[in-house]
Amino acid sequence: MLRKEQNDYLSQTGPGTPLGNLFRCYWMPALLAEELPENDCPPVRVKLMSERLLAVRDSEGKYGLIDEFCAHRGVSLWFGRNEDCGLRCPYHGWKYDVTGQCVDVPSEAVESGYAKKIKLKNYPLIERGGVLWTYMGPADKQPPLPEFEFCTVPLNQTFTTKRVQECNWLQAMEGGIDSSHVSWLHRGDLSNDPLFKGAAGNKYNMQDMSPVFEVVENDGGLLIGARRNAEDDQYYWRITPWVMPCYTGVPPRGDHPIHGHFWVPIDDESCWAWSYDYHPTRPLSDVEVAAMKDGKGVHVKYVPGTYRPAANKDNDYLMNRAAQKAGKTFSGIEGIGMQDASLQESMGPLCDRTKENLVGTDNGIIMARHRLQRAAKALADKGTIPPGVDPEHHKVRQAALLLKHDMPFRDGAKEALKAKQGVRQTSV
Amino acid sequence: MLSESARVTTAHEAGFRVQYPNSRERAAKIIALDAEAAKALEPVSREHWHGAAFFTSLSFSAPSAPGQTLDAWLNDVAGHAMNLAAEVAEADYVVVITSAGEDSRAVSVIAEACKLRKKTLVGLILTHNGPTDEQVAASLKELRPYTRMLVVASGADYIEAMLTALRA
Ligand code: FES
Ligand SMILES: [Fe+2]
Repeated sequence: MLRKEQNDYLSQTGPGTPLGNLFRCYWMPALLAEELPENDCPPVRVKLMSERLLAVRDSEGKYGLIDEFCAHRGVSLWFGRNEDCGLRCPYHGWKYDVTGQCVDVPSEAVESGYAKKIKLKNYPLIERGGVLWTYMGPADKQPPLPEFEFCTVPLNQTFTTKRVQECNWLQAMEGGIDSSHVSWLHRGDLSNDPLFKGAAGNKYNMQDMSPVFEVVENDGGLLIGARRNAEDDQYYWRITPWVMPCYTGVPPRGDHPIHGHFWVPIDDESCWAWSYDYHPTRPLSDVEVAAMKDGKGVHVKYVPGTYRPAANKDNDYLMNRAAQKAGKTFSGIEGIGMQDASLQESMGPLCDRTKENLVGTDNGIIMARHRLQRAAKALADKGTIPPGVDPEHHKVRQAALLLKHDMPFRDGAKEALKAKQGVRQTSV
Repeated sequence: MLSESARVTTAHEAGFRVQYPNSRERAAKIIALDAEAAKALEPVSREHWHGAAFFTSLSFSAPSAPGQTLDAWLNDVAGHAMNLAAEVAEADYVVVITSAGEDSRAVSVIAEACKLRKKTLVGLILTHNGPTDEQVAASLKELRPYTRMLVVASGADYIEAMLTALRA
């Protein structure tokens, strides 16, 4: 349960809000590199943390993220003509470069210097791992670039997608931390999905339906361990990392690529669910990439030409009651991503947490909320740089492994939880 | 025509969620396993809670009749001794708190009572006193066999955060 004011505090990320200030300490995925595929390509509207922006790529390949609206009379520059190192507003011809600097006001002579006085707000936009990242905080506090392993391995070892989710970011992200829903909502997919099936560890999931949990704080966020009984005096551990504020990793299965998510606020009633899949030491196979493109694993199928899932609220998520009844899917919805999204959207655009009744096994969620509040407050009161800004905090890996009963998972999995170049993931 | 899901997931429709309560008060028993944990728990126990009862230590008394086992007593913050078995019997769930590095062996007795009554036991290990890794590991080892959920928290303020979240 959260009180109304706590719920608002954690949900709202617009400019000037405490959580909004927290989010503006980090590099965030803004859009896929494929959305700006070539020099002078059409600009793309991007809304992030309740700010309407425009992503552009100029004639020289430079990226920029600028205020969406023309400084003259407020036209959306989405209609702009991308020409000769600048975007020209189609209304009266004002032209801007990728930094938002106005470089031409046709009604005024160049010599007048008028254009120099016009500058749209801009944020840096950089490419890393097929993703365009932005940093929307104060320029003097800009941290080093992100070092999440999925965006630092060679491009043929990684595959990232995004889908729009029509609810507040926090209820989406909480699903990524909530390990206890997996045995219910996703139970059918372990044996069927090509990106999960066949792993030796899957049998422990099936044999022991009531896992026991441990939550441990680490430098960048949390480690959430779920353990099940295994042979002899061992437990089968699945360890989910959370890096503040909104990165979660799904523990791996066998030699399948590792996946996880970024949950990025668009505004207070929608967010981007980013899904990555990578292998630390080998290229993804054609079969794997084809499955990902087909919406398997954590990915989804789309409404063609958009990043909106094909199964969405407008078609009741293609609810299939027969499959539900037959036990093929537990909720009647197909695919892990949409099983999560459909339920999280059903909570409403902004979940009312004053009505929830949490249990002891929800402590991962309770702790994540607590740390977010604490970090936002320390930032507001003392300017403390929050956990997860330091790129060292990004170098954490999800893991699945067997450990002796009396071994603390953080010690037993110490090496497994480190992202190390050229070292395979720890997984059973 | 809009689908049902599209129609009902607007902010406007969220306003029609029924305003009746969906739960009743649950009895949480919060037990400090050692003196350091008791110190951290004491100010929390003075806040306003909804049915939570706080205990700061465990003691034992000799069997009341021959052939009976040891009786275990929980001491509440006001210093009253309450019977462990009776407290657990009327609990909805039990939380034990230890400060890493302290002696937390009392957990086994509490866990035994919980097991008998099938009550969930949640463990909280505080590291606010700056324990060594070995001390944290020792506390984890002590509590792990008994708890359904085990949390290691760096700040004593997590006690209140957790209990509030659980509506204790
Ligand atoms: S059982 Fe968890 S939301 Fe309903
Ligand atoms: Fe899920």
